[in-house]
Amino acid sequence: MTRLLQALLIGTLAVLFAGAGYLFYQWKWEAGARPPDPVATGQIVLAAKFMGLDDKPQALEQWRGKVLVVNFWATWCAPCREEIPTFIKFQDQYGARGVQFVGLAIDQKERVGPYARDIGINYPVLVGGLESMDFARQVGNRRGVLPFTLVIDRSGKVVTTEIGILKPEKLESLLKPLL
Amino acid sequence: MRLILALLLLLSCAARAGEPELLPPEKAFRFSARMADADRVEVRYEIAPGYYMYRDKFQFRADPASVSLDASQLPPGKIKKDEFFGEVQIYRGDMRFVLPLTMAGEPVPRFTLKAESQGCADIGVCYPPQEQKAEIKRVAFSSATPGAGLSPFLQSAPGAPASAAAPRSEPQSEDTLIAELFRGGFWALVMSFFGFGLLLALTPCVFPMIPILSGILVPHGEHLTHARGFALSLAYVLGMAITYALAGVAAGLLGTLLSSALQNPWVLSGFAAVFVLLALSMFGFYELQLPSALQSRLAVTTNKLNGGHFASVFVMGVLSALIVGPCVAAPLAGALLYIGQSGDGVLGGSALFAMALGMGVPLLAVGASAGALLPKAGPWMETVKCFFGMVLLGVAIYLVSPLLPAVVHMLAWAALLIIFAVYLHALDPLPHGAPGYRKLFKGVGVISLLAGVALLIGVLSGSRDVLQPLAGLRGAAAPAAQPALFRRVSNLPQLEEAIRAAAGKPVLLDFYADWCVTCKEMEAFTFTDGAVRKRLDEMVKLQVDVTANLDEHKALLKRFGLFGPPGIVFFDRQGNEIKGLRVIGFQLADKFAATLDLVLN
Repeated sequence: MTRLLQALLIGTLAVLFAGAGYLFYQWKWEAGARPPDPVATGQIVLAAKFMGLDDKPQALEQWRGKVLVVNFWATWCAPCREEIPTFIKFQDQYGARGVQFVGLAIDQKERVGPYARDIGINYPVLVGGLESMDFARQVGNRRGVLPFTLVIDRSGKVVTTEIGILKPEKLESLLKPLL
Repeated sequence: MRLILALLLLLSCAARAGEPELLPPEKAFRFSARMADADRVEVRYEIAPGYYMYRDKFQFRADPASVSLDASQLPPGKIKKDEFFGEVQIYRGDMRFVLPLTMAGEPVPRFTLKAESQGCADIGVCYPPQEQKAEIKRVAFSSATPGAGLSPFLQSAPGAPASAAAPRSEPQSEDTLIAELFRGGFWALVMSFFGFGLLLALTPCVFPMIPILSGILVPHGEHLTHARGFALSLAYVLGMAITYALAGVAAGLLGTLLSSALQNPWVLSGFAAVFVLLALSMFGFYELQLPSALQSRLAVTTNKLNGGHFASVFVMGVLSALIVGPCVAAPLAGALLYIGQSGDGVLGGSALFAMALGMGVPLLAVGASAGALLPKAGPWMETVKCFFGMVLLGVAIYLVSPLLPAVVHMLAWAALLIIFAVYLHALDPLPHGAPGYRKLFKGVGVISLLAGVALLIGVLSGSRDVLQPLAGLRGAAAPAAQPALFRRVSNLPQLEEAIRAAAGKPVLLDFYADWCVTCKEMEAFTFTDGAVRKRLDEMVKLQVDVTANLDEHKALLKRFGLFGPPGIVFFDRQGNEIKGLRVIGFQLADKFAATLDLVLN
């Protein structure tokens, strides 16, 4: 019995060490993976400023108090282009009830402007260079990919972050409770 | 049971639900480059499954701008119909491009390749355009060194496109081979290190551990069950593994290894002393136990579980890891080199832990089968214990041999052999009708006695060669003293001066220290070989003696990213280091000669 106990104890110890090592690794390596604090992230987003298509700096602070949807996108990103019509439709539908979409293009202004006109984007589009990917990472997009969308409620708290295309049904179910 | 439950709970917390697992871009699109032949660069992208890259987004530039790359002939990609971009060509899987190279003006020996690319994942996200860099060295078409955060590309190319001239096969130096292993995912890496440890277990490096472990198991005699034998050896192996893991973490965090500290004369002597103490317990002078004060303290906590012995066995494992360290210097250096550079102690620690577990597998087998393998009782026992005692003493002498003058070294061996003979009853008459094993022992004893006496006579007659103790008695004139093979350099300016003075000859730089057993082995067995000598004659041979470990020595080691000797670095005829060819650890003459051939051509 005691021998069995010993063997068991040592075996457990081995697994424990291995597990602890793995967890520590995960914790360190994937630090960005832990869901960031929604309030703090909201503050970071609302404190940010980017150039508008009219070359005037725009603070996201101006949309505080609205249900804010910030979409990171680019013209070279096919999935981003795919979901933009949904956003246009939703801006029309829910704009009057306090929903505000904002596009943040990780792109060149010369490409964003014509594209936004062509497709008829009916919400503000801001332009950030490649360096604004760092900002995206800071607010929860740890792999720095596009599209990336944040939904912020009226109190300035981040409700959800989404990597990849946001389906209309999902977007609707996210927005409804916040109105 | 509760422990296991708690562990499961912990693990389940770690598994995060939710967002798709995306690879970081440098892993999704793994980039590497090197010279395919004299005027073409081979660029490789290993694209992870589920990811793709756009053909028309590639841009290749070189720094300096006098080097230009022709990327007009990229292979056709698969057609992807995109709602927005129309038909676009994309690449998936393992892609290799061969880019012709042109040089305006003076050819340069090396340049930086800057590759811009853009790709996406099938789940519907895209990565921003990224620039990746590789240092390309044209001399000897050597492998590329990585840019920041990127991996070197060392494997020769299986299934390279037909247009690519077959890259010269070059032996991978052991340290870069290990660094290569770190490219995989976490678990792939840990598993490879485990397998690597298994391989290491087949080398003589683990031999010193078997007598130690046996020394632990033998005193248990007939009480040793398989379970207990296994448990004891597991405690031992864990001690060893945790030590390696700590070394990995330390290297990761400190950026340098204390390997030279672990190999300094005092530490070596300390280990030798431990072996002697172990040996004495084998001879029955005392029972191997922890100091009573420590033991009583441990007893409170561990003896309740009947595991007081485990603590001492664990400590033994820790010490053994330090002892065997120098023997596995080559793979350790590679691993620690990487860890030191990456600054990731956790990854390195886990990898080394797995490696040590792999090394420990045969020891576990010995432990688990100990009841069957080792004699259980009778006069056998004493002889076996005595044998292990002798082996332990032999290991002790081997450890301190670099520190001892040859006379003392030989006298120690002679004494050991003769005493061993006495223990085997070589000098006692065999009783009539003695059992067979007694005769065998006597035979072995007599051989040992003769060898010991020969050594003793040899050393007293002036011979200093352990392997040919009686050579001096042949009466032949001693061979004329060899002229020194290496020119000594001791700091960076001297080294640079010597490389400049080499005037078109390749340069070999050997890091040496008196305590470095491998260095002595290289001197005795490899550098003396005729074929090696012939090739060495065509080179300038420099040596740094870092025994004193002065600041200038440390600076030299750091300059080459080495933690300590052994280490041999080569420079081509232009005085640039040939990175892929470093020799770390012992190499046999054949292999070393092949390495030298690559340096010379």
